[in-house]
Amino acid sequence: MTRGAAQGMVSPAALRPAGASRREATAFIGMVVFLASWTMLFASLFFAYGLVRTHATAWPPADQPRLPRLLPGLNTLVAVGASLALERAGRTWRDVASHATAGWLALATVLGAAFLALQASVWRSLWGEGLRLDGGPYPSAFYALTGLHAAHVLVGLVALGALTWRAWRPAGEALERTPLRLWTMYWHFVGAVWLILYVAVYLA
Amino acid sequence: MITAAELKAAEASQPIHAEPTSFWRKYVFSIDHKMIGRQFLWAGLIFLLLGGTLAMMIRWQWAFPGRKVPLLGDLFLHRTGGVIGPAEYQQLFTAHGLIMVFFAVTPVLIGAFGNFLIPLQIGARDMAFPKLNMYSFWAFALSQVLVLASFFVTLGTGGAGWTTYPPLSTSIGTPGSGQSLMVLAIFVTGVGSTMGAVNYVTTIIRLRAPGMTYLRLPLTMWGIWLTAILNALFVPVLGSAGLLLLFDRDFGTQFFIAGAAGVRGGGDPIVFQHLFWIFGHPEVYILILPAWGIVGDVLSFFARKPHHWYKGSVGAMVAVTVLSALVYGHHMFQTGMSPLLGEGFMFFTLIISVPSMIIVMNQVFTLWQGSIRFVTPMLFALGTVIVFGVGGLTGLFLGDISMDLYLHDTMFVVGHFHFTMAAGSVLGAMTGIYFWFPKMFGKQLDERLGKIHFWFTSLGLTAVFGGQLLVGWAGQQRRLYDPYQYTFIQGLHGLNTWTSMFAFTLFAGQMVFIYNFFKTIFFTAPTNVQNPWGIPTLEWTDAASPPAYHNFDRIPGVLRGPHHLSDPRVEERLERDFLGQAEPGPEGATSAVEPA
Repeated sequence: MTRGAAQGMVSPAALRPAGASRREATAFIGMVVFLASWTMLFASLFFAYGLVRTHATAWPPADQPRLPRLLPGLNTLVAVGASLALERAGRTWRDVASHATAGWLALATVLGAAFLALQASVWRSLWGEGLRLDGGPYPSAFYALTGLHAAHVLVGLVALGALTWRAWRPAGEALERTPLRLWTMYWHFVGAVWLILYVAVYLA
Repeated sequence: MITAAELKAAEASQPIHAEPTSFWRKYVFSIDHKMIGRQFLWAGLIFLLLGGTLAMMIRWQWAFPGRKVPLLGDLFLHRTGGVIGPAEYQQLFTAHGLIMVFFAVTPVLIGAFGNFLIPLQIGARDMAFPKLNMYSFWAFALSQVLVLASFFVTLGTGGAGWTTYPPLSTSIGTPGSGQSLMVLAIFVTGVGSTMGAVNYVTTIIRLRAPGMTYLRLPLTMWGIWLTAILNALFVPVLGSAGLLLLFDRDFGTQFFIAGAAGVRGGGDPIVFQHLFWIFGHPEVYILILPAWGIVGDVLSFFARKPHHWYKGSVGAMVAVTVLSALVYGHHMFQTGMSPLLGEGFMFFTLIISVPSMIIVMNQVFTLWQGSIRFVTPMLFALGTVIVFGVGGLTGLFLGDISMDLYLHDTMFVVGHFHFTMAAGSVLGAMTGIYFWFPKMFGKQLDERLGKIHFWFTSLGLTAVFGGQLLVGWAGQQRRLYDPYQYTFIQGLHGLNTWTSMFAFTLFAGQMVFIYNFFKTIFFTAPTNVQNPWGIPTLEWTDAASPPAYHNFDRIPGVLRGPHHLSDPRVEERLERDFLGQAEPGPEGATSAVEPA
């Protein structure tokens, strides 16, 4: 893609061999554009968060619970772990998915599920401490940002589960490299959003 | 030069698939870009009629406030006895704006032409992701259903204006699920637009036929490609604003709720304005860039001349695209923005007129000494140039802070954005419909009816939006239910009534188009002339009318730019005045001067 974009004048046909790798590159570019859209979605959410927060008189308000740092911090490690496992899964894929691929994918799926479980426990304890959605901009921003992020994790988790199943199953439709690569990109993206969210919402 | 290997590689990566035969796969859940384009065209035109009907009711209110609306009153306003009440009035202009921007003009200009034309004009068999294309249309169709549903809930559809500014758009300002359904509809159509945009951007990067370099793309493709980039980047910003507004309305969060209703200080309604206009200003160009592209091509084709300074127009369109992302603050001069920031936004806003002028001047120079054919699409293209010129010039007043303080939220603003976004893009869309109709359906719209339609439309739009500019200049605020409750506006009643009469005439003129459209599609035998206008781009020279399911039997190897017209060497040897983009020319003609 970068070559084609940089040279501009060169017809794309000259740059790629025929067939599958060409379609894979097309899918790759599509995913990059998609992720650019998602980046703008989260960038504007963070922008709104920043504006609301700078306009607030106190953050957090004195009578509302502070956000925990340790558990979400641990969750950051879980998210990084899932991304690393996916990378390994990609590297074990040769011409076809092996059981090692399936194993790494399964690990990533489990870590993804653990991430959601930990996040749910953070929500539960804060809800228990009296942090409700209608308690002003502070809980609004917290629940909206973490909730929208978790929704994206959930989508990724379903996809990873499906990929694991397809990599494990010996017969039938084999797992191709393209979906594995694209979902890995998606997962890394969601992880990167989490890193920013952790710093901007939990730490700052 | 294109090698046989390149053509072979292109063929290998886009094999011909068999056409589906079942009704559902062929006409409903189709993955064929041409069918999806037609679906968008139908869906958009139906909502264009709906949005236009709503506009007529607004104009009725401004001409005869409080009087029973003829015909439509008994149909839609039985609760108030056929009279437009204040709440209904709010809903009328809200629904009119949202429907026209998101559910009528966008699907026709981007959904219909984008889908139908991209593969045909770049020489591909389909879009890069045909299934995603189908999902994009059905997301859009779902959003239209949500819009219609919002009319039938308790308290009716949304009433917070097309900009849906809080606090009016929060559940305190506009209670009821109608507003929520409208916001949800915008979000869902945004999802569909984003999917479409990903597809368009990727397809034009990856599936251009061998030899179809970026600077050989028809201007239409440039317009649609740049639009798709803007859509991919900025529709998600609107999506985030819509999501947060929905959370505020339905889950009790407080992003935009302030004042007495706000707990612990509450949020900030201005945040919504930022998000809305970060999207909203690029949106203006999302609607006009495809029209610029279409008009640029059509002017060249029917002046039978290469487009003047093609590269300049392309560069100017790119510049407008980039600048459009930097000017959104000019919608917010009145929000207490820092004057320094305001001046920055003003500067970039006024700078946009430079590339815009390059585009318009190139269009005018294209006509210079051309042998102009005044067919219907050409008339509409010329009309687009003129109304966009007026719209652009009035924009200078609004971009200037000191003038904007006076004109802000007056009918002048309404007139300005109707000239650009409504007149400009609707005439641009009509240009495209008349021009590509033979390619889409294999038959041609009636030229005589088309010309009648043109005069009604172009004069009608100019008169109506001109009337808006005038009353706005005189100080009439926009969105007033009964403007004549203000004594200083009472003197404008006559002008407003005249403007409304022009609007009714304009609407009546559209019946000519509807008649022509239905008559031609359903009651005219197809002629299937491949290239009735004598046009050099691929969809006319290398594909049938309507094109086969796989578009091209063999993927064309492109040799030259899109406007190879009136080359004397071609005229001498082929006895016609154009040479197709992929046509091996007569000796000497292939090395003819590229239009540049």
